[in-house]
Amino acid sequence: MSSRVCKNCGGTDIDIDQARGDAVCMGCGSVLEDNIIVSEVQFMDNGGGGSSAVGQFVSSDCSGKGPVLGTGFHTSLGKESRAQTLLNGKRQVNHLGHQLQLNKHCLDTAFNFFKMAVSKQLTRGRKMSHVIAACLYLVCRTEGTPHMLLDLSDLLQVNVYVLGKTFLLLARELCINAPAIDPCLYIPRFAHMLEFGDKNHEVSMTALRLLQRMKRDWMHTGRRPSGLCGAALLVAARMHEFRRTVKEIIRVVKVCESTLRKRLTEFEDTPTSSLTIDEFMKVDLTEECDPPSFTAGQKKVKLKQLEQELAKKLDEVAGEITCYQDEIETELENSRPKLKGPYASYAVEDPMMDDSISVASGAPGEEELDDLELEAAANHLNNNFYCEILDEKEDDEEEERTATEKDRSPVKRLPLASLLGPLPTAASLGLTDSIKECIADKKDNKENSENGELDLNGIDDSEIERYILSEKEVKIKTQMWMKENADYLKDQKEKEERIAKEKELGIYKEQKPKKSSKKREPIRASTAGEAIEKMLEQKKISSKINYDVLRDLNSKGSSSPTQDEEGSEEGGSAKKPSTSRKSANSRSLSTPVSNMRKRLRPLISTQPTKKLATEQGFGSTSSSDPSDSSKPVVVESGPVLYNNEDDAEEEEEEEEEPCVSAMLLIGGNDYGCDVDDDDGY
Amino acid sequence: MEPDNDVALDIIITNVVCVFKTRCHLNLRKIALEGSNVIYKRDFGKVLMKLRKPKITASIWSSGKIICAGATSEEEAKLGARRLARCLQKLGFKVKFTEFKVVNVLAVCTMPFQIRLPEFTKSNRPLASYEPELHPAALYRIKDIKATLQVFSTGSITVTAPNVQFIATAVEQTYPLVFECRKIHI
Repeated sequence: MSSRVCKNCGGTDIDIDQARGDAVCMGCGSVLEDNIIVSEVQFMDNGGGGSSAVGQFVSSDCSGKGPVLGTGFHTSLGKESRAQTLLNGKRQVNHLGHQLQLNKHCLDTAFNFFKMAVSKQLTRGRKMSHVIAACLYLVCRTEGTPHMLLDLSDLLQVNVYVLGKTFLLLARELCINAPAIDPCLYIPRFAHMLEFGDKNHEVSMTALRLLQRMKRDWMHTGRRPSGLCGAALLVAARMHEFRRTVKEIIRVVKVCESTLRKRLTEFEDTPTSSLTIDEFMKVDLTEECDPPSFTAGQKKVKLKQLEQELAKKLDEVAGEITCYQDEIETELENSRPKLKGPYASYAVEDPMMDDSISVASGAPGEEELDDLELEAAANHLNNNFYCEILDEKEDDEEEERTATEKDRSPVKRLPLASLLGPLPTAASLGLTDSIKECIADKKDNKENSENGELDLNGIDDSEIERYILSEKEVKIKTQMWMKENADYLKDQKEKEERIAKEKELGIYKEQKPKKSSKKREPIRASTAGEAIEKMLEQKKISSKINYDVLRDLNSKGSSSPTQDEEGSEEGGSAKKPSTSRKSANSRSLSTPVSNMRKRLRPLISTQPTKKLATEQGFGSTSSSDPSDSSKPVVVESGPVLYNNEDDAEEEEEEEEEPCVSAMLLIGGNDYGCDVDDDDGY
Repeated sequence: MEPDNDVALDIIITNVVCVFKTRCHLNLRKIALEGSNVIYKRDFGKVLMKLRKPKITASIWSSGKIICAGATSEEEAKLGARRLARCLQKLGFKVKFTEFKVVNVLAVCTMPFQIRLPEFTKSNRPLASYEPELHPAALYRIKDIKATLQVFSTGSITVTAPNVQFIATAVEQTYPLVFECRKIHI
């Protein structure tokens, strides 16, 4: 495991110390490997006289950051966010996987899926538990284990469809084609749960045969496999003289009782059900059935057809009846014209004749023909309507309506109808033509939609008027609404009062229900170094940026760049205060100092150096104070208080102009170099 | 109702959803109190108004955005939307009919044969997905025309797409794929 070439200086002279387990470059002094795994076995003596092997346990994870600190993996220092996510994920995968009794290979595969998902950022915006469950289910599907999505949702207490959605997304994004579920996979599992004892295998085989039959009979497409399994097992159990009730089966299979019954009835409809047990075991019918929903659909269609035929026949019969009715009517009305004659003319002359009078005129007629009189009354109404129309000449829709009514009116009213007939029709024709022209014009005018003008073509205003309530109705509705929503209105009033009060007092704050700002306690520290330490603890600095490279971009004869991991931590601390031009220049001084020291002493591991840095930070700040006398007010303004806003501003500034800050940092500081020389080991 | 090239398939449009903006603030309480066919959903901040003539249900927000659903054709949707705007105008709001857009069209089409779903899914792997535990139909998505088809084993297919033209294209594209996996009657 020895590296031939140093990554930093390119030197080939590398010293490997087995005792310390290090690989160090002799040219630049950078540590290339730490905690090398050796194949030697050494023994040490214990206190009690026994001996034990020397060594450490290394976890199977790739993050070999060395021994874990006291609190385990809860420290945010020293662990990258990604590594933490993966570690957490692995833990959850193992936890769930053990509950499902998956073997190690499956769990590893599931963890790999999870890693892929994280790298594709599919965990964003989703509960991690859902993603983990989806990964596990994906493994189950690819391996063909008899685990259902329902099991997972049971464990997590989550809706199956939510999990299913996540699972489908995962499968699509990872381009993994999960093979389709075969209900045969579930049979052994359910059979085992139903405890058939010795005959377990036979019952399973029978159930399998049944399933195959169901598949060929098209009962299985689009159905939950567990439902089919349940039905098959029930029948198989009965065939082998096991008494398994429906309730027991549904408890095992997790479907509803009605589903099971439905499957059984569907199976009953197939021709296979008529075979005896022995015949079934031996013979396979070649005939295939249609899917049950298809046959149900066909039945519906047939029913509809039957209904239509019936309706037609009814119409025919009704037609015959109406014919008879008409004939009777004509006969009767022929005998009545004397009574109605004067009134008929009366009706024509006076268009505003009262309906009651017309009815009354009909009343003295023969009593046996009540319905005929009603018809006559209706006709009177129609005629009034015609007259109104003639007078006012309304929209053609109404005229169309009158036209149809005109058709329906009986033969008796011919003279009147003929009078009215040509007029409305001529009018309606004329109107429709003109309206058609209007429509054509308006269609050409497409600018209307752009302007936002409402195109009133084809809109019946009067119908819309109906949608709007009258004033009285509005009052009633308002009353009802107020009564129903009294509580809400009360709450609203109280809220308004409260706001008004607060405004008076000047305390009123705009309550934004959305964002809950993270309120951090302001850091109280006596020195800049301490402040940096505390701030680093609070804010998790990204360690993905190689701060050394950033710094070295503009600096001229700088020393060789340090390693990423070690430099990044200190770099984190350097980045934070680097652009603070307002306050705490001492801060910025101390950290580059410590960084430079870092470079010269690469042998020391990360944790202790941090502490050393702060110590040096102490030392440097104390000695840097005199140098910063130029800006005493700004620097020594009491304990260093950090606010979120300040930090944010600094970060923003920094991101915009990292190069400049690095320049300031290194270019303009002679002081740092001095201290460097003094305190170098 | 657009026939295919080879076979005359009836594509029946069952639902058209459209949106438009009125460019003016609407007082939902007023609409709720003065309209006779409205439901005021205070928790969601919207008013549901149902029209009878083109059978349409509209969700009205106070910002002036309106979603209209339930029409059976694009023209009907536009007519219904305009009717609705007219109704609001009558209630006293200065509505403008802007940015009318048909957002979604749902159509149903029946094949004269049954379809084997597992086969269909296997042959159209990334685009088709079939999860019998979740839904009885296989889901087939066409990305460029943004159409989603639900293929059932009975042969009926539900298509949703942004407009009617795309629906026809989707059915035309899918027909040969489905034809391959059809169930042959004995």
